[in-house]
Amino acid sequence: MTPHLTSRNWAGKTAAGLVLGLALALGVSGLLAALLGVRDSFFSPQGQFTMWIIAPVWCAVLSLCFLFRNGLRAWLWLGVAAAAVWLTLFALGSLS
Amino acid sequence: MKVRTDILRMYKEIHGWVGIVSGLALFIAFFAGAVTMFEEPIQRWASPPTSLSAPVPLERAPELVEAVLAAHPEAARSYDVHLETGPENPARVTWSQGSRRDPQVFLAALAPDGSLEVEEQAASPVAQFIDMLHQQVGLPFAHEVAMPIMGAISLLYFIALVSGVIVLLPSLVSDFFAVRVGKNAKRMWLDVHNVLGIVSLPFHIIMALTAVVFAFHDEFYDLQGAAFMDRGAPRAQMAPPAPPSPRAQDPELLTPAELAQRVESQAPGFTIRAITYHTSREGEPQARLSGHDPRFGLRGPTFGMVEADPVTGALTDTTYMPGLQDAWGATITSFFALHFGSFGGAPIRWSYFLLGLAGAMLFYTGNLLWVESRRKRERKAGAVTQTRATRALGALTVGVPLGCVAGIAITLAAAKPLGTEASAGIHSAIYYVVFTGFVAWALVRGAAQGAIELVPAAALALLTIPLASLAFLDLHPWSQPLVDTVSVALAASLALTARAARHGPRDSVWSHPRREAQADTTSHATAPERKPAI
Repeated sequence: MTPHLTSRNWAGKTAAGLVLGLALALGVSGLLAALLGVRDSFFSPQGQFTMWIIAPVWCAVLSLCFLFRNGLRAWLWLGVAAAAVWLTLFALGSLS
Repeated sequence: MKVRTDILRMYKEIHGWVGIVSGLALFIAFFAGAVTMFEEPIQRWASPPTSLSAPVPLERAPELVEAVLAAHPEAARSYDVHLETGPENPARVTWSQGSRRDPQVFLAALAPDGSLEVEEQAASPVAQFIDMLHQQVGLPFAHEVAMPIMGAISLLYFIALVSGVIVLLPSLVSDFFAVRVGKNAKRMWLDVHNVLGIVSLPFHIIMALTAVVFAFHDEFYDLQGAAFMDRGAPRAQMAPPAPPSPRAQDPELLTPAELAQRVESQAPGFTIRAITYHTSREGEPQARLSGHDPRFGLRGPTFGMVEADPVTGALTDTTYMPGLQDAWGATITSFFALHFGSFGGAPIRWSYFLLGLAGAMLFYTGNLLWVESRRKRERKAGAVTQTRATRALGALTVGVPLGCVAGIAITLAAAKPLGTEASAGIHSAIYYVVFTGFVAWALVRGAAQGAIELVPAAALALLTIPLASLAFLDLHPWSQPLVDTVSVALAASLALTARAARHGPRDSVWSHPRREAQADTTSHATAPERKPAI
């Protein structure tokens, strides 16, 4: 049986959601920018769109990070996800 | 729909905490935001009449521009020719100096004898003050300090939305639209809270996400720039300037009337409000036309814009032009338009006004529920009286919303007596005096007694708006019945709900000491549980 989820260990989960959620969202916006060919024109409509994408991704991670069993797992899984995104960006040569 | 009980309980607790932390600030943001839906009528209502001569007809605008540029060469950098004039904008030609956040606006007109008249005056700052209150969730701090706090509140707001929906999922079908009005007041408030939340959920998701972007867009762009900016690539903006065209030396500009006509022929349905003449980096004259088109979403709160060549009238940049944008431009514009309600004309403005008020009610009922369940928990734990924190939160739940409503009403009404003396600082001072007065009163008198006294006070505060209209009829011609009517309607609804305010259980935050003494003989358990319905 899976252990029960609780809101008592919210601090660690929230911290992971805030920090790694933003890292993940920024990474996703970078992937989108690479896909749309936004290189230096972040104020172009496409560039603005990639900026807008950060908010929903960050908000979604932040509101769902409580579904991790504890803070450690949240940091671990979100860390893996963020690392995967940023390694992809590195492999694509999208980083400045 | 089945959701594991531990997940439900966890998100219920999260919903309560993020709600109570952000609820009061969100009430202010939503009430002030609802009011900004009528930004233009409010500006017209509040702006003092000018002593300038009547605006010259559009055909004579070139004459006026020539006179302005001769007397004030600094205006050549950028000046506006207004196609629409009115109380909030009484001059055909204006220009501004100073920072974008705090500009000095100069109005120009031609006296009957043809001489130039210039007056420094802007539209009444009260609408902008209310907008600032909305953007900064009521915080009296500098913009740079208030925005990150607003962003944090928006993040909490989004968590509250997600957790609220998860908590509601199992009973969504059975509870939807079931508002059980009856003895159990808490049940009724919960039903109202749920219906408001679910019915306006798409609106709230849009508001939460756009508010996060409005709070943090500078930071997001900086992060993107630091992480992904390709510094090796040739920059589009840095392309070598085109060789100066001969007409840049002495351009023969179209008159504003001709330019407007040429633009309108290329974009039928677009109503031009103003033309801003400015100079590009290359020294070429440029024109930005702002206007509106109810068929499309607008990038600004009340306008879209297009860049045109003032010599030929050709459109040069349609990124923010309603109806002529490419798909990406239209997508970005839709994010702004969905926040501003700047699409679809008056029906959407009214819907957004009502959705904004409903949102304010959502946060108010949420606070009520939190305070009431905390009281119940404390009673179960054996406490006979409320803890100080519960009492304070109950008082704030009464004082902050009513203080916000009354503060906005009084500072708006003050625009008429203030006239040209009005400044953002004075309006801000008036608002915060009223607001802190209401909050202090609620804290001193307690939630129940405070509500009984403050609800009529807030209703009276709203009535000062039509009163100011009447008292200053000779100075300000009465032109905006909408502002007065909406104020009276809001005051009436407050007065109606004030009648519903009755006392509740003795330990409730709504318990009313004096009436209780009389009702002491009645059994506590059967006492009807009612709360003031503000």
